[in-house]
Amino acid sequence: MENKFIIVVVVALFIIALMQLMKVYDLAAKIRGEKSEEKVTRGENIFNANMLIVFMLTYFGFIIWLIFKYGMNGGLFDAASVHGQEIDSLLLFNWWVILPVFFLTNGVLFVFSWKYYYRQERKALYFPHDNRLELIWTIVPAVALSAIVIYGLKTWNDIMFNDQEGAKVVEVYGFQFGWWTRYSGDDNVLGKADYKLITASNPLGVITSENIQNSYNYLDGEVEKINLLLSESKNDEGEYFLSANNVDSLIGRMERFKRQKYRIKSAIDRGDQNDSVYKSANDDVLVQELHLIKDQPYAMKFRSKDVIHCPWVPHLRMQINAVPGMETSFNFTPTTTTQEMRAKPEVIEHYRVINEIHNERLKKLGEKEEKVEFNYLLMCNKICGAAHSNMKMDVVIETAEEFNSWIAEKQTYAQKASE
Amino acid sequence: MAHDAHDHHHKESFITKYIFTQDHKMIGKQYLVTAIIMGGIGIALSALFRLKLGWPDDKFPLLESILGSDAAPDGLLDSNWYLGLVTLHGTIMVFFVLTGGLSGTFSNLLIPLQIGARDMASGLLNMIAYWLFFISSSLMAASLFIETGPAMAGWTVYPPLSVLEEFQPGSGLGMTLWLLSMAVFIASSLIGGINYIVTILNLRTKGMTMTRLPLTIWAFFITAILGVLSFPVLLSCAVLLLMDRGFGTSFYMSDIVTSSGALDATGGSPILYEHLFWFLGHPEVYIILLPALGITSEVISTLSRKPIFGYRAMIGSMLAIGFLSFIVWGHHMFMTGMNPFLGGVFTFTTLLIAIPSAVKVFNYITTIWKGNVIMTPAMLFSIGSVSTFISGGITGIILADSALDISQHDTYFVVGHFHIVMGMTAILAMFAGVYHWFPKLYGKMMNLRMGMVHFWFTIVCGYGVFIPMHFLGEGGMPRRYYENTNFPMFDHFLDLNVLISIFATIGVIAQVIFFFNFIYSSFRGPKASQNPWNANSLEWTTPVEHIHGNWYGELPVVYRWPYDYSKPGKENDFVPQNVPLDADEEEH
Repeated sequence: MENKFIIVVVVALFIIALMQLMKVYDLAAKIRGEKSEEKVTRGENIFNANMLIVFMLTYFGFIIWLIFKYGMNGGLFDAASVHGQEIDSLLLFNWWVILPVFFLTNGVLFVFSWKYYYRQERKALYFPHDNRLELIWTIVPAVALSAIVIYGLKTWNDIMFNDQEGAKVVEVYGFQFGWWTRYSGDDNVLGKADYKLITASNPLGVITSENIQNSYNYLDGEVEKINLLLSESKNDEGEYFLSANNVDSLIGRMERFKRQKYRIKSAIDRGDQNDSVYKSANDDVLVQELHLIKDQPYAMKFRSKDVIHCPWVPHLRMQINAVPGMETSFNFTPTTTTQEMRAKPEVIEHYRVINEIHNERLKKLGEKEEKVEFNYLLMCNKICGAAHSNMKMDVVIETAEEFNSWIAEKQTYAQKASE
Repeated sequence: MAHDAHDHHHKESFITKYIFTQDHKMIGKQYLVTAIIMGGIGIALSALFRLKLGWPDDKFPLLESILGSDAAPDGLLDSNWYLGLVTLHGTIMVFFVLTGGLSGTFSNLLIPLQIGARDMASGLLNMIAYWLFFISSSLMAASLFIETGPAMAGWTVYPPLSVLEEFQPGSGLGMTLWLLSMAVFIASSLIGGINYIVTILNLRTKGMTMTRLPLTIWAFFITAILGVLSFPVLLSCAVLLLMDRGFGTSFYMSDIVTSSGALDATGGSPILYEHLFWFLGHPEVYIILLPALGITSEVISTLSRKPIFGYRAMIGSMLAIGFLSFIVWGHHMFMTGMNPFLGGVFTFTTLLIAIPSAVKVFNYITTIWKGNVIMTPAMLFSIGSVSTFISGGITGIILADSALDISQHDTYFVVGHFHIVMGMTAILAMFAGVYHWFPKLYGKMMNLRMGMVHFWFTIVCGYGVFIPMHFLGEGGMPRRYYENTNFPMFDHFLDLNVLISIFATIGVIAQVIFFFNFIYSSFRGPKASQNPWNANSLEWTTPVEHIHGNWYGELPVVYRWPYDYSKPGKENDFVPQNVPLDADEEEH
């Protein structure tokens, strides 16, 4: 901490010293009568022109160093999904078009500024326009961009309009601050859900006759609690000793619970037919990690309980917002299991480095060492509040056998209800 | 509002001269000073949250002493406050520095001076626009001082996060202040914008046709049109948000459950908000960029002693950029679950913008080619601005591609991209403008050498901060994370984040050079001569001291475009616009 403070102080002192120096320099120059603030001297022109070249070389060098150190995908490895590989090759194509243009245009800008620094004896070329040149640099970018647009849109359409047969339906549900995963079971249909049914025991609001009953009980209980509180908050004359605001908000809440119950009753509850209407929920399984089968197409569905979240799995190049009040979807096929990933030489090497850095940090904090292994992760990529930066869920990609034995141990909604 | 030449003899009180002034030059200075103060706050906030990102495990007692013990107990920044700082940094820099500050200062200063008018079309509206801007700035700054903190939902304040205090503390009073401040700000921009448009269309002096206008004026003109067309949409967007927050409507809300149970709201959609917001939000990018491009055009031509290359192409590309900016907003929303077909359309329109942008860049470079480049601070900043426009624009091609956006959206790649192309380009151009027109603003000269040092610190630190962010983004690191240490997969970036924070700290501290130079020179700088840069445009024909009505006697008459630099057959390497053509001289 002190070190950093010292750095800051040193930088500040450096700047102050610089200013003082300049003042001295200014004064000296003024006394010699050779400068004004309106004329840049020949020396200064040359100095800044040369600095432009030095800067350009440093700037380019910095970028090339970063590319060598961190690679073009910053340690994400080749995409572990079919569409992700398409995105990666599109990205690479774009870089091949873009990077030469970047170095060339920046280079020409700096080199010209350096080469044509001001010399009193020279006169600039009077060259106000040239239709041919302007046509060239309208058409050339247009052609290059056409290639980028066509390739890009083809990839986009491939990814987005990709309704593969036999895709398994899985739902990911975001809330402040975490995720739920719901598997659709053997029927491959997710049971209907409604936010009005959400309670602690039914975090997604999945509709089953049992959940409807639970919601009634919960809402009745809440109404009763508020009623009790209100009646206890009256003195003998029947006046509340709570503040008027408090009373209003309690009554408001109570009314809201009553409305909610009415809305469930009128729009969701089908009485005796509940079990047949909402039967697709029976084989659904609710967990808090995401297991996927290698080479199995998925039709993922996303919803949110409260604010906009954004499920983001960098290694799969999969991202889409989870928006309250609507369902979004993303179809993809994972191609590499977690174990296969861990066995790749580049992953082993990368995680060796990660482990070094990670444990060095833990040591500094006085915490126990731990081994970091490669894991797919689903994280939140849309600002959602205080714990936004810690909203993650493990993703496991495995073989069908591994998946089946894992899911067999989980309870379906029907199994939970019959307990 | 034509003033007679003798107007300046009237004695003015301190209040009418410096505070409730209707003189465009003084109003320009008021905007500039307000923007510099807001800019100081904005970049200081970024330095504070960069401390957390660079050294996630360290405690900084400095933070507690600046922000208070609610925001940084024991010197450890609170995660809600982190988001608050990020939000206010974005809001202040985008709206108060680069919109209000940049166009406010230079449109006010330069429009009447460069078109040959005595003042703005309406001095009174101009004054009102500034004071509304001042009020909104104060409201926004004030939101930093309330207990629950400022707005915390990111500068885009997406609902439902920004609607309920239950979701984050900043969505209470802080968010209310944010909305009020923005409503006042929008009123200010509208009034200002209408004034600029009317002035440019009606008050040009004799001979000043539209194709003899300096490119700065064209830039301000198109900017004002964009603002007038898009800001009202933001206002309606903000009003609906206000209704959702306070009056129980559900424009943006549907099917939401909080800790107090399910809300009544049903039928609304946050996506509607995003559409309305970005319908302003994208033109806003060009409201920021176009004045910057106008300033660099003017400075590069003047200080290369060479006409701007392709004057008409420059105007055409600005018009094209202005038009296209209205049909690209969806590229901010590829990942929202918007219809993928629309995503394709927006990809196409967005990539179209690259064409006029490329034309502009090549024209700048050709202007410098075989020029005679004088390395004043303004010129250096303009070269830097073109460089950042290239460096940041080029990564825009990647982000415009909806398919690539799947792996780049909301990562640090985006942060690096827009800070370079919009933030740095505009702020460097704003500095260029201040250094270049300081003699017109204060009648004094700024210290050239300090300006040069300021430039080198700024460009090195700017690139040092934002170029590495592209690599963080390629590694999948999401933006707006309070800390990345919950994800060991990002641990190899720990040292890169330290590097970024060091550059950021030095870069912010280096701005002290500018503050010092600005304040020192405005009081003690050497007196400027009438036309220190040997420029052609009309503002350099006005007297050095500020007078009401800008010119003694008759208004100047214009005979030529403003870019007759190094014209063959002329003795000087510049020919001001009010010099008549020779008998056998062609215009250009």
